[in-house]
Amino acid sequence: MSREPQTRVVKLFFREAIARALREEMARDERIVILGQDVGSFGGSYKEFLGLYKQFGAARVRDTPVAEASMVGVGAGAAAAGLRPIVSITYMDFLMLGLDPLVNYAAKARYKTGGQLRVPLIVKTTAGAKGQGVAHSQCLEAWLMSVPGLKVVAPSTPADAYGLMKSALRESGPVVYVDHKRLFPMAGEMPEDEQITPFGLAKYLRRGADVTIATYSHMTQVALAAAEALAAEGVSCEIIDLRSLAPLDLATVCDSAGRTGALLTLEEGQIVCGVGAEIAFRVREKLGGAVRIDRVGALAAPVSSNPVLEAACVPDSARVARAIRGLLAA
Amino acid sequence: MDRVLLLRSMMLIRAFEAALLRNPGHGFQLLSSGEEAVAVGLCAALTADDQLLTSGRSIGPALARGLDPGRVLAELLGKSAGPCQGKGGRGHIAEPSAGFFGAHAVVGGNLTIAAGVALALQSLGSKAIVACLFGDGACGGGALHETLNIAALWKLPLVLVCDNNRYSVSTPRAAALAPEYLSDIAKPFGVPGQTVDGMDVMAVLEAARGFVELARSGGGPSFLECVSFRFSSHSTATRDTRTPAELDAARSHCPIELMAGRLAAEGLLAPDVRAELEHDVAEAVSAAASFAEASPFPDPSEALSDVA
Amino acid sequence: MEKEQVIYQLVVPGPIEDVEELRVLEWHGDVNQEFLVDELIVELETHKAIVEVRAGQRGFLRQVLGEAGSWEKIGKPLALLSDASDEAIPASLDGVAPLLAAFEVM
Repeated sequence: MSREPQTRVVKLFFREAIARALREEMARDERIVILGQDVGSFGGSYKEFLGLYKQFGAARVRDTPVAEASMVGVGAGAAAAGLRPIVSITYMDFLMLGLDPLVNYAAKARYKTGGQLRVPLIVKTTAGAKGQGVAHSQCLEAWLMSVPGLKVVAPSTPADAYGLMKSALRESGPVVYVDHKRLFPMAGEMPEDEQITPFGLAKYLRRGADVTIATYSHMTQVALAAAEALAAEGVSCEIIDLRSLAPLDLATVCDSAGRTGALLTLEEGQIVCGVGAEIAFRVREKLGGAVRIDRVGALAAPVSSNPVLEAACVPDSARVARAIRGLLAA
Repeated sequence: MDRVLLLRSMMLIRAFEAALLRNPGHGFQLLSSGEEAVAVGLCAALTADDQLLTSGRSIGPALARGLDPGRVLAELLGKSAGPCQGKGGRGHIAEPSAGFFGAHAVVGGNLTIAAGVALALQSLGSKAIVACLFGDGACGGGALHETLNIAALWKLPLVLVCDNNRYSVSTPRAAALAPEYLSDIAKPFGVPGQTVDGMDVMAVLEAARGFVELARSGGGPSFLECVSFRFSSHSTATRDTRTPAELDAARSHCPIELMAGRLAAEGLLAPDVRAELEHDVAEAVSAAASFAEASPFPDPSEALSDVA
Repeated sequence: MEKEQVIYQLVVPGPIEDVEELRVLEWHGDVNQEFLVDELIVELETHKAIVEVRAGQRGFLRQVLGEAGSWEKIGKPLALLSDASDEAIPASLDGVAPLLAAFEVM
């Protein structure tokens, strides 16, 4: 019998995982172009485009003016006309400036033209609180989840940053790819061979029996820390990294919540009309009243650059642990 | 260029819209009667491979671009035989394979899209260029200025054509826009601009031809302002705020009569030829109506197709 | 009288904001090379910066524990240096004093 071939792994920083996906896909598909502020020789605000300008040149890795509205529009138009643009929006807060072309054009062009046009546009943006204040900290994924025609993904590890970007670059419609400021210091392993993370497929980060935590992006770290603390109290947490918010892997969430009987949704953004609200409703629809559900997210307040107020606003592991204790005591 | 065909094209638009207006069941429509010369002059400067994007006021441009009147009407009425299967409807007609990349009914919303289409054509090594037609109402928003900036920087093959019909719904252009000439907006970006009489199809064609050639030869973007008169209100559902005297004055500048008079004076349009053209476009409009009316509405299940 | 400590360990310097783990980018000398005070010994790479590590005391590079490309956490040993080029390498790092070193995040 032949032995299983050993899977060789590489270890990369989060930013390098993004760059790897782009490098491989840009070499494979010459229609891929990058548009954004400081993406060229500077290599991106998080160095996530480092090396691409040198390898693929100024025509395919284009620095743009500070003009998010028009850059998303240019990306959408170019996508509709045969390119595969990735538009980098440095802070998710500024994606608001580009919502008209993203929502009114990119997400609707296929539908409104009766299928004559496709808009394979990727908007890559960075969300999350990290000391930068009220207009540089927001997580707005939930707004986008309700737009028909739009896909929304949010990796939490370098392996998925790579795999989800690869998938995004092969989609036929618009995708918003949301990473997070606090994920960039991470390094992580992934197979040396090409690997794709499909959309709409969640992943178990931790197995457990008492409660399910459904979360994504940087909040996976908060959930893991909370689970460690609760393990010391004898509470066993199962953690699901959603990875893809639209489409949503409801089956995995229901499967887990059905087993544990308790579900906590955890997001860094607002909970009103949030990711958790949507998941909770859909789980309730599927599983009925048997599952106890609670949600944790930011306080209903802006996120200040003040370190005390920022920490008070966004969820931490203590708040998550408290919510789970409450959920299980209910 | 057969100038009689330009006249016929303008007459077709006028007759098509008149028929649309006669039928109240056709509902809300954005008409461009009075502005035919802008669409026809511009389209006469384009080749088959070029792409045209427009604002929601798109009936004239779609017909001028050569789209089949029956299919255009079907689209306007939400029928399946429209190029967008009735899903785009008024304000969003598109047929990219025919060089009509499409209308987009967000004011100014198609400007950055057009720049993107131009970037794609440039990147893919195409010789085709992009024209984007928009109203004066789009000149006060940021999209135009951002588009001019990036198109100038990247030398995009983009001809920006402003159909300045002097009103944003009810607001006179002078109350909304500071520049003396809207084509002046292009100046600080180093983008060539020109203002022409938008009621004169030959003036529009001549200016558009120069700018299209500039774009095709790698010279980058341009801005053509065509000053026109809208003969009816903003839409079939909007009351006109202009006085009867104002409207009469506007209608005295008819682009069709201007061109017909010129051709007649040159001996190129005998009265019987004019009558033949009238008959011809009336037939075309009638055939379009029969075609569109015979087309079914989409099945309700179509609401969920081609979404993602 | 003989000095007690002649072997030193160079460790991954810190703290560096947000950084737990770094990648060794490049050694700026071979084993047995002498480094004078302020000379660049090794460059490390964080998620967003290069960290230059310079000698804070004179010493010979005796053994590299973290080759270029390897990942090391802050405080972990990177190399052994000694006052003299022929000093015996100890079997264990227990009790081996840290080399004086300066670092700068570029």
